[in-house]
Amino acid sequence: MLGPLGRLNAALCTAGRAIGVVAIAVMVAVTLLQVVMRYVFNNALPWPDEAARFCMLWMTGLMAPTALRHGGFVAIDSLLMALPVRLSAFLSLILLSIAMLVLVMGLTIGWAEVNGLGGRFDTASLYLPTSWGLDSWYRIPRSWMMLSLVVGFAMLILVNLELMIRAFMGLIGAADRLPMVRNPVLGSAE
Amino acid sequence: QDITLRATANSNENDEDYDGSVVFKNYVEAASNGAIEVEIFMGTQLCSNGAECLQGVADGSIDVYISTSGGASGLFPYVQVLDLPYVMADDRVAEAVLSGDFTRTMRDMALSDSGDAIRLMTIGNTGGWRNFANTQRRIAQPSDIEGLKIRTVVADLPQELVRALGASPTPIPWPELFTSLQTGVVEGTKNGITDIMSMKFPDAGLQYVTLDGHAYMGALWWMSNQRFQELPDDMKRVVVDGFYQLQQATFASPKRKSIQAYEDFVAGGGDLYVPTPDEKAAFAEAAQPVYEWFTANVEGGQEIYDALTSAVAEAETDLETARAADME
Amino acid sequence: MLVLFLPVFLFFLMVGLPVFFGLLFAPGILLWLNGQERDITLLYRNLYNGMDSFPLMAIPFFMLAGELMNRGGITLRLVEFSQALMGHFRGGLAHVNILSSMLFAGLSGSAVADTSALGSMLIPAMEKQGYTRRFAAAITAASSVIGPIIPPSGIMIIYAYVMGESVAALFLAGIVPGILVGLGLMVLVKLMADRYDFPVASRRHTWAERGQASLKAFFPLMTPVIILGGILTGVFTPTEAAAVAVAYALIIGIFVLRTLKISELGDVLSKAGITSAVVLLLVGAAMSFKTVVSLSHAPELLADFILTLTENPLLLLFLINLLLFAVGMFLDAGPAIIILGPILGPVFTSLGVDSVHFAIIMCVNLTVGLATPPMGLVLFVAASVSGEKVETISKAILPFLAVEIFVIMLITFVPEISMTIPRLTGFAD
Ligand code: NA
Ligand code: NA
Repeated sequence: MLGPLGRLNAALCTAGRAIGVVAIAVMVAVTLLQVVMRYVFNNALPWPDEAARFCMLWMTGLMAPTALRHGGFVAIDSLLMALPVRLSAFLSLILLSIAMLVLVMGLTIGWAEVNGLGGRFDTASLYLPTSWGLDSWYRIPRSWMMLSLVVGFAMLILVNLELMIRAFMGLIGAADRLPMVRNPVLGSAE
Repeated sequence: QDITLRATANSNENDEDYDGSVVFKNYVEAASNGAIEVEIFMGTQLCSNGAECLQGVADGSIDVYISTSGGASGLFPYVQVLDLPYVMADDRVAEAVLSGDFTRTMRDMALSDSGDAIRLMTIGNTGGWRNFANTQRRIAQPSDIEGLKIRTVVADLPQELVRALGASPTPIPWPELFTSLQTGVVEGTKNGITDIMSMKFPDAGLQYVTLDGHAYMGALWWMSNQRFQELPDDMKRVVVDGFYQLQQATFASPKRKSIQAYEDFVAGGGDLYVPTPDEKAAFAEAAQPVYEWFTANVEGGQEIYDALTSAVAEAETDLETARAADME
Repeated sequence: MLVLFLPVFLFFLMVGLPVFFGLLFAPGILLWLNGQERDITLLYRNLYNGMDSFPLMAIPFFMLAGELMNRGGITLRLVEFSQALMGHFRGGLAHVNILSSMLFAGLSGSAVADTSALGSMLIPAMEKQGYTRRFAAAITAASSVIGPIIPPSGIMIIYAYVMGESVAALFLAGIVPGILVGLGLMVLVKLMADRYDFPVASRRHTWAERGQASLKAFFPLMTPVIILGGILTGVFTPTEAAAVAVAYALIIGIFVLRTLKISELGDVLSKAGITSAVVLLLVGAAMSFKTVVSLSHAPELLADFILTLTENPLLLLFLINLLLFAVGMFLDAGPAIIILGPILGPVFTSLGVDSVHFAIIMCVNLTVGLATPPMGLVLFVAASVSGEKVETISKAILPFLAVEIFVIMLITFVPEISMTIPRLTGFAD
């Protein structure tokens, strides 16, 4: 049960990180492009701001699951550390269930939002070419941007499920049979 | 009371939107004899932009919301018709147009576009008229504006206008505008005088204002259609009349508020320029490409443009007749 | 009923629920119990919209810039520069540690990055010269809090965004307080050096050597000049400045100093992205939380309560420092600012405290909290970099904390310390 889910999550998180890396690079690039256009060509572009936000939202949605999987979500864990192993696993399970509730609610509402009226709004400045000659353009709707958080929530739910199974195994004393999660170094904003 | 209406505006309590909300609340609560209560939420507590707030109106978490044309244009692009420069000559024309069938035409278009979810109740004013203001020089004719970096919202029409006048439209978020003017990231902006003064833009070097009045700052008041249709007929009547009162209040409020704002601007050393009719005609001439752009590129653009221009023509004829009668 | 959101939130926070989930769960459950289901949607909407912001993008950018500088061997040049200037003093390496932190602060907005970058280099070096490991770790941790006080600063970007302040004003207001913290620590090191006979790090460098070290550190030292200069002269907005800092770090790392390999970039981007994702989710959740804060009228109730204690703003500021300090012991600066800013900020501005001044008090106090036992984040980082136990470092850091608390009080009661630069440059009134 945990094996396939763990492998799925590992694969999804890797893919999410790869796209996230591209997204953050694009954010830097278009922001710099705007500075250059404004100063060198005296011709500010309408779209870099929104394009960069588009990328930032997707970066967040796709990279946050990696953080959750590796304990990168900020929490005060002194009580969890102080409790005996089983009790700690029990408390973890409760906390993870609360997190699951939040995530499922988020996914439900988020999906409704994407399909609702707010999603039908046009983005202010983002277009996609629909022909090779670049003479017809499709205006990207806001829902494409809003989908980032929904996809993020869906991936977080999968990761959270994996964490719940781990906590449950810990509770029944089978923690040593769990496969390890490789731990990438996480930074901090402070 | 039986019904609570939750009204929200993304501006603060110094804004015309608040004046309108208070008048609406007061009228509706009194006229319904307390059957309807109105809660006002100013600012971004409930939602923070047109997309979010109109979604709230559609799904019932918000009952009444005021947007600018820019705020609603992502969903109803034709509302930008209000931003078309130099179509309505002055307050009298604008108020007659917005009190008439033009608003009903726009209501029908929005209802059908939103699947009968969002109802345009009335169009009032928020902040008077947009004028060109800048940190560099007096703008008396279109050529004076050439080459300036002018801040616009990220919406097509204002950018087209700035481009048509030979300036460079630069999108800057409203909260960053002061710093951007101060440091020269942008050199000008198009706003009403009350916004200019309440944001203290003259302190950032914005010392030249040209009263070209290129766009009417319309305030679109939306309501959840379902919520409205659920009301019994007598309460519908109260609400409709409440929006009339609100509209009148927002028509009047910027006129009163702008007096002090203009005085403060000039007292602070600001250069206030009123273009002559010839100069104004030159601006309208230079802005010509915008009308073509609007009717050709905006969905429903031709329909709403025709509605507006015929309403303006009608209003101007009526006003001339009325004026002639008053002058006898 | 809704006003219970704070105790409910704090309870779940203390038992270990991640801050992100707590910020959404506590108000959500209360809205649900209150029969306000339609407002739960507002929580989601504010979460999403709270993250959808261009100014916030400065966070991933500055994080990325700091990471690039670090990998690009720039840290080493800053340390060598500091050594050329201060190495010959008694307690030379301790002074070098502090000065390097101040210089590093101009490149990075993070105390954790400072501790790990400078600590891994300076703690072993200090040990070799005969300092105790715990002293070396303690001075590293204590001086690293300067990182988010001198601009750029991650927490100031967060505060400015959540509270609607100008990032530029906060950045400018942080300069003098940050330098004061550094000078305060140096004075203490000087006193301790004379008393405990600390070693000097090196002979006095000649001016030629100093010139050479300055030349090598020139490019990194230009970073804060470019960032602040660019913002002040209007060449770019703070977010654009952050992107420029990224480009600058890349160029000097790859082409000028040639210490950064292109193959490392993926790793650096990934790390900055993951960390920013967590912070952005937190900021978004804070905006949701703020919605419920205002629906519940908590700030008004709190203001009433506080005013029953005393109406003297100076005494209130003193009390608030105690509160912030206590919070800082358990919670990291970012989340603490996110939670407390919307509640406390309006209370104090309504009492006539300048909002920029209050922001600085809050940021400096909570940043010092990062180095405060028992839960200070940089203590843990210093422990892992040095191999010393957290408890031991916690004891050794106490005298330095005393100095920092003294500086916090100075900043609190002499507003001019923070406000002069933003006022002179017209970024605050
Ligand atoms: Na810094
Ligand atoms: Na240090």
